[in-house]
Amino acid sequence: MKTEDLIMALSADTLPRKSVVQQLGRAMPVAILISIAAFFAFWGPRPDIWAALGSAAVLKTVLPLCLVVLAAALAQSLTHPGARHDIRSAALGLSVVLVLGVFGAALLNAGGAGLIAALSTPSLLTCLLSIPVLGLPVLAAAFWALSSGAALRPRLTGAVAGLIAGGLAASVYSLYCDKDMILFVVPAYFAAIASISVIGALLGPRLLKW
Amino acid sequence: MKREPKRGLNSLADTDALEDLMRAANRGDSAAYHRLFTAITPVLRKVVRARGAALGHAGCEDVLQDVLLAIHSKRHTWREDAPLRPWLYAIARHKVVDAFRARGRHVAVSIDDFAEGLPATAGPDPMEGRDMDKVLGQLEPRAAEIVRAFGLNGETTAETAARLDMSEGAVRVALHRALKSIARLRERMIE
Repeated sequence: MKTEDLIMALSADTLPRKSVVQQLGRAMPVAILISIAAFFAFWGPRPDIWAALGSAAVLKTVLPLCLVVLAAALAQSLTHPGARHDIRSAALGLSVVLVLGVFGAALLNAGGAGLIAALSTPSLLTCLLSIPVLGLPVLAAAFWALSSGAALRPRLTGAVAGLIAGGLAASVYSLYCDKDMILFVVPAYFAAIASISVIGALLGPRLLKW
Repeated sequence: MKREPKRGLNSLADTDALEDLMRAANRGDSAAYHRLFTAITPVLRKVVRARGAALGHAGCEDVLQDVLLAIHSKRHTWREDAPLRPWLYAIARHKVVDAFRARGRHVAVSIDDFAEGLPATAGPDPMEGRDMDKVLGQLEPRAAEIVRAFGLNGETTAETAARLDMSEGAVRVALHRALKSIARLRERMIE
């Protein structure tokens, strides 16, 4: 086929395509509902859920959601060639540094022994396994939506998709988790979210190819 | 000896702003969309040929068609308030590198190639690719027929619709879907 003929066919097709944001809007609610349904079926909220949500422990639920918003904004610009993403990356980076800073301060207070004591609980394994599992449907939805965009850096974009999934899963899981110490929550949630982000980075080049 | 004037995407500024053409295309203006493709294709062809001499002209034309298909299938990732060129460069560069890599050639495409254009190659320019015919052969016959009708026969939507006894809307949707499948099949082809 001649290129000129292809151009004729291409230019005849002016039906609009759905934007990445629209696709996210279609896929995310479904994935979140699946996660929440799985949560109620296999985990369930902690007994003192209302008291916890009224205390500082609510940050376990809210901060991962902030991560989701920042990661989604970054993913959106990563799938739009020519869009700048330095401010969005900086915002995401800064928020991680802030949380690690709070963790560092707590660690200085308690020392290494305090950290080991905080993490020596079966809850650690539960957390490290639950967050990636709850995040899988969200990861699938994020990849589905982002693949309609044009990611120039698929590995990075995949990792950011993992942050969206990990953040949402961590937020849901926090309603079950009854460990509220900074020395537990920050390293455990951080590792769990990072693991799903690594999965995203590994899948990115394959799933975001175009 | 008189040198050929340097031509590139920048020289298009004096005809129509590419952004205006693309915005019009997004509103359903096929004529504007066609002008946009006509304007950018020669520049893209030079870039591809400069990188892929070993592929031969038909092979280069295949790569070029991959780039055009990518521009078409990712056009919703351009923001209407942004300049079109950086977006276009990014899409083209990604696709050229990808297409050559898939064909076993590692190339680095510098942005200068797009900005400056390159001296034209001597001789007649065959502008026919080979991949597309294989891909059309894999499509459902009616879908392939519709793609060919717009290209080879230069039919309008109304003419195709009348000939195939379909509504114009159905032809539009069929063409849209066919081009989507083509992009997907070619993607698989060069993997």
